[in-house]
Amino acid sequence: MTSPIDSPPGVEGGGASVVVDGEEPKKAKAGDAELVGRSPGQLMWIRFKRDRTGVISAYVVIFFFLIGLLAPVISWLYGKDPYTVYADERPELFDSAGVPVQPNGGISGEFWFGLEPGNGYDVFTKLLYGIRTSLGISVAVTLATVLTGILLGVTAGYLGGRTDYWISRVIDFLLAFPAQLFFIASMPVVVSLFVSPRDETPVYVRVVALILVMWFLGWMSLGRILRGTTLALREREFIEAAKVSGAPPWRIIRKEILPNVVTPILVQGTYMLPNFVTAEAGLSFLGVGIVEPTPDWGQMFSKASTELVMQNDITYMFFPGISMIIFIVAFNLLGDSVRDAFDPKTAR
Amino acid sequence: MTEDLVLPAPREAAADAPGEPLLVVEGLVKHFPVKGGFPIRRTVGQVQAVDGIDLTVHVGESFGLVGESGCGKSTTGRLITKLLEPTRGTISYRGKDITHARRKQLAPIRSEIQMIFQDPYSSLNPRQTVGKIISGPMEVNGIHPEGGREKRVRELLEIVGLNPEHYNRFPHEFSGGQRQRIGVARALALEPKLIVADEPVSALDVSIQAQVVNLLQKVQRELGIAFLFIAHDLAVVRHFSQRVAVMYLGKVIEVGDRDSIYTRPRHPYTHALLSAVPEVNVAGEDVPQRERIRLAGDVPSPIAPPSGCRFRTRCWKAQDKCAAEEPPLVRLAGNHEGHLTACHFPEEPTIEARDKDIVLDPALVALEETDD
Repeated sequence: MTSPIDSPPGVEGGGASVVVDGEEPKKAKAGDAELVGRSPGQLMWIRFKRDRTGVISAYVVIFFFLIGLLAPVISWLYGKDPYTVYADERPELFDSAGVPVQPNGGISGEFWFGLEPGNGYDVFTKLLYGIRTSLGISVAVTLATVLTGILLGVTAGYLGGRTDYWISRVIDFLLAFPAQLFFIASMPVVVSLFVSPRDETPVYVRVVALILVMWFLGWMSLGRILRGTTLALREREFIEAAKVSGAPPWRIIRKEILPNVVTPILVQGTYMLPNFVTAEAGLSFLGVGIVEPTPDWGQMFSKASTELVMQNDITYMFFPGISMIIFIVAFNLLGDSVRDAFDPKTAR
Repeated sequence: MTEDLVLPAPREAAADAPGEPLLVVEGLVKHFPVKGGFPIRRTVGQVQAVDGIDLTVHVGESFGLVGESGCGKSTTGRLITKLLEPTRGTISYRGKDITHARRKQLAPIRSEIQMIFQDPYSSLNPRQTVGKIISGPMEVNGIHPEGGREKRVRELLEIVGLNPEHYNRFPHEFSGGQRQRIGVARALALEPKLIVADEPVSALDVSIQAQVVNLLQKVQRELGIAFLFIAHDLAVVRHFSQRVAVMYLGKVIEVGDRDSIYTRPRHPYTHALLSAVPEVNVAGEDVPQRERIRLAGDVPSPIAPPSGCRFRTRCWKAQDKCAAEEPPLVRLAGNHEGHLTACHFPEEPTIEARDKDIVLDPALVALEETDD
């Protein structure tokens, strides 16, 4: 671990930035440029860039997000889409049971990742769109939980007293919920709030329900961390200095507290997102999340584990499985690196 | 920087006539509730941090507040800057009662009372540049100095002896003494009339302490700002303040001009406090020996302070009267004008050695006997 004032050569004022009291700073390159200090954020960025694992993980994560974003473009170039029922379109590729004739799940130059038994969907485009759905939902949940966490956590920490007491009790109460069980049990209930059980459920309702359910039990850990951080910050003298200058509470929260809780927010955010990806996949796997024909990462596992598919080929588990493992591992490593970059003193 | 590193001898007796009163504090009380009990939490006691003190700070004057840790000095400072809400008593600033003023009511005079904090590491927001930190108060109060805020910040940095080019740097790039200078610049940004300095140098290195004290003194003299200087370091206060108040367990027990307090103290506690300052006497030098008083025990708990005179539990002159009756803060016979003492049995106004040292701590007594 290198010290935070280390810097790549050539950066102005780098190592000598801590000047001895009362002494004029040495201007090596006098008049070269205005003295500009580096913010804690810039220092973090410099440290992060030196962490090879973190940078590689970041590229992998960015790659997945790009795939998700560009799924329509890629499948347009590829010339297929995840909704075409190839069992009807190209019946010559399937045997009488609806299983692809060619080995390894029908992998060929035309269908790169093969074809699904039964309806015969194209696995490659299905995976692209599945990643898109899963990441979209997870990002939405993460944003919602982070906003809620900031709002309730910082409020509780800054106001203290009775507000803090009640918000903390709500957090305790929600933390005591068995999350997975609650998700499974409440998904149909939430869906039925929007749509009558007799009608067909539109996809967006399922998506909104998933986001709501995961948000409801997802914000507490961040809220609690932010409450603690704010509580500690509130006692710092720079908050008192702001009060003495007559700053209103809103300004103190915005200018003095929020910039100082960015670190826990980013670190927690990078830990939370992969958790939401797996949680969403789990729900879809169990059949309470996204259902056919909408492509979804988790739902591909559930399809791959059905009897018909499982007996024939393991290939269907392979592509979603490997891609998800790579994504989750990369994102968790990224989370570790972000933590290290922000807080170089904590040993791993 | 031209300031020397040693504290020069104290200035000659405060000849500068005290101006009109700027800040008047009367009967100021701050009690912190102690919560406890189960299952219903209720108030089970009161920490009597500040228990009825009277102070007057005049225009342009520097007023020192000394005392042991936990005697309520800092609480007093925070009450005056309205960081804490007083339980009782009044604080008036230039004749205006600000005791229970809300933030909005306080707005017009907010800029006139500023504060310098103890810990230079926690008093600056680590995520803001020095420029932002110093211009923040101007922004809050809507002050638009001539030539822009940035120019003013550069001026302020120059006043406190920092390089104006450091405008864009972050606090973590400075040393403790430099950070404290930034804190001073921030306090000066609003051109205050009164600065409450809460132990501004006790977190600093000794050599840096002198620099910062000299900076504060320069600021105080040149800009005519009144200071309420809170410290536990008697030497620093003697160097800096024209008038001094001594606090013990939430009460002011003696107040007077600097020379009265330092050379003619009357209260036994002031005597003990002064005698606790280490002195360096070169052998053979003809300096009158100072008295030695070694107190025993700790300051009593402010939750249940002693009845009557609060110092009586550690005082060698305590009698029944001290427990029954609280001594008023009055001018004793032989005291200078403005020198008030709260004691039933005051000491002689001298700090020279007595026939016998007063050593109340039995452990110290035993130690000294084996020494001889």
